[in-house]
Amino acid sequence: MLTKSYKIVQPKRFEIYIDNIEPKEDDAIIKIEYAAICKADIRYYLGKRDMRVLDKKYPMSLLHEAVGIVIKDYSGKFTVGEKVALVPNIVSNCMEDKCTNKVCLDNKLGQNYCPRALFASSNYNGFSRSIIAYPSSNIVRINNNIDLCIAVFAELISVANAAIRRIDIDKNDRVAVWGDGILGYILCSVLHNIYDVNFTVIGKHEEKLKEFTADKYILLDDEYKLTSNVDIVFECVGGSNSENAINQIIDTINPGGKIVLAGVPDKNPNIDVRKVLEKGISIYGVTRSNVNDFYNAISQLENDNFYKCISKLFLDELIINDITDYYKAFEMEILNRKLGKNILKFRF
Amino acid sequence: MNVAVILAGGHGTRMGIIDKPKQFIDVYGKPILIHTLEIFDANLDIDAIAVVCLDDWHEDLSIWLRKYELNKVKWIVRGGKTRQESVRNAIEVIKTSCNGDDIVIIHDAARPLVSNRIIKENIELAKKYGAVDTVIPTTDTIIRSKDGNKIFDVPVRRELYLGQTPQSFKYSIILEAHDKAVKDGILDATDDCQLVLNCNKDVYIVEGEKLNFKITTMDDLLLLKAIIKLGKIGEI
Repeated sequence: MLTKSYKIVQPKRFEIYIDNIEPKEDDAIIKIEYAAICKADIRYYLGKRDMRVLDKKYPMSLLHEAVGIVIKDYSGKFTVGEKVALVPNIVSNCMEDKCTNKVCLDNKLGQNYCPRALFASSNYNGFSRSIIAYPSSNIVRINNNIDLCIAVFAELISVANAAIRRIDIDKNDRVAVWGDGILGYILCSVLHNIYDVNFTVIGKHEEKLKEFTADKYILLDDEYKLTSNVDIVFECVGGSNSENAINQIIDTINPGGKIVLAGVPDKNPNIDVRKVLEKGISIYGVTRSNVNDFYNAISQLENDNFYKCISKLFLDELIINDITDYYKAFEMEILNRKLGKNILKFRF
Repeated sequence: MNVAVILAGGHGTRMGIIDKPKQFIDVYGKPILIHTLEIFDANLDIDAIAVVCLDDWHEDLSIWLRKYELNKVKWIVRGGKTRQESVRNAIEVIKTSCNGDDIVIIHDAARPLVSNRIIKENIELAKKYGAVDTVIPTTDTIIRSKDGNKIFDVPVRRELYLGQTPQSFKYSIILEAHDKAVKDGILDATDDCQLVLNCNKDVYIVEGEKLNFKITTMDDLLLLKAIIKLGKIGEI
């Protein structure tokens, strides 16, 4: 089947490609309805990666947050017209008997840490395509009562779930979420509505923090002094402020504390290792999510309060009729400082 | 209901190929007609498809429909001697399944790169206005010559568009247009919008795309294959 896609070919340059989809036995064909732009997509768009890395990836379809409708199914698992979410982390070349990592057997890790995994819009074509043939094992059904333009947040919800399952949280642990961006907001919403954990959120923008579902918030000013009493911190800052945030967390956290790093930094941060040693801090890395995290994310959206929280992140619908609309969407999202995303409605 | 009528009844003499019409030429493993049908079959707004096809090719078409699981094709219709007659045949065949407000989307089999956006806007605007045509503005200046030797005049470019397909209509309007055409002795119209205009009804415009070009000559076929090949280079 012939279909159209937009691929990035060099920084700030998208081109139209006509792809000839050739579905495999276990694939379903999905018409992509909604998608969202992530910071990683913006880094590829702006060319904010090492040029040699980028040269190996271009041309590539961006976007890894997408939902759609089944238009054909070869796997026998779906029916035409069903709403679905696409899981971007693909492990289709598992060599179970020869594998020395076995991360997929560890619930705290899982397939999203598999060195052989492919990830849409990183080392595999992403979802900026009109129609896609996709492995049925990476497709998660969405109930009809959930709007697709809200379900597109399932990927970020799944990432929040992957961060939470990375560690054990004891009922006596004092928990904090560091960062007032969209991932911090979703992580707070999951902790509050699903896990019923008491926690504090820490950030720099009071107007955003007020929207968070936390027991309390702490505003960081420039003269940062924090004497909070926390045992577990989820770092959701990333970007250019990653280094500051991590060192502030190391300063603040109680001895023996756990730090879960969920934000992707622009460059490798210098962190105060001496203090990490002195305080006996454990640092956990998390990245992406897997199919089970998506199942959890979709079922969590059935919770009314949680659904209302996530709906607040929907800023506007941007209709993508052609490649000029696609360019505009990227330029808009680069400038977006609000708590939420403009969601792309694919019509091309 | 939205019914697509795919016109595959032509002989395509401009191609040079003598053993098969252009719409049955194989492009990367499938006839062009099948590439086009797949787009309509996969489109969630399309409820049923009628294919107008040359009589000699009905059996091949039936085999392809099974092979490629094109489940929305409900009718294989006899091709007419002219485009107008082919469309007329399709309108008659689908008559018992359609009511007056149903939308008929008429598309050339030899335009396999029609986009979902074009199909969607055809349906939306046909529901609103009753009749729409897909067109693109001309970027070249159009020259009119009556004898093929010297320029007669140069029409104002901003008023000129190139017609593509789909052309979409409410069923009652396209039926009336074809009935009136026969009464008026119009038997070889090259498109259906002319027939609707002949009924003094307005036809509105849907913006087309250059990629929605018609495979008419060998150059067009080369272009289509090159475009698809580029997509393969981009595979990672």
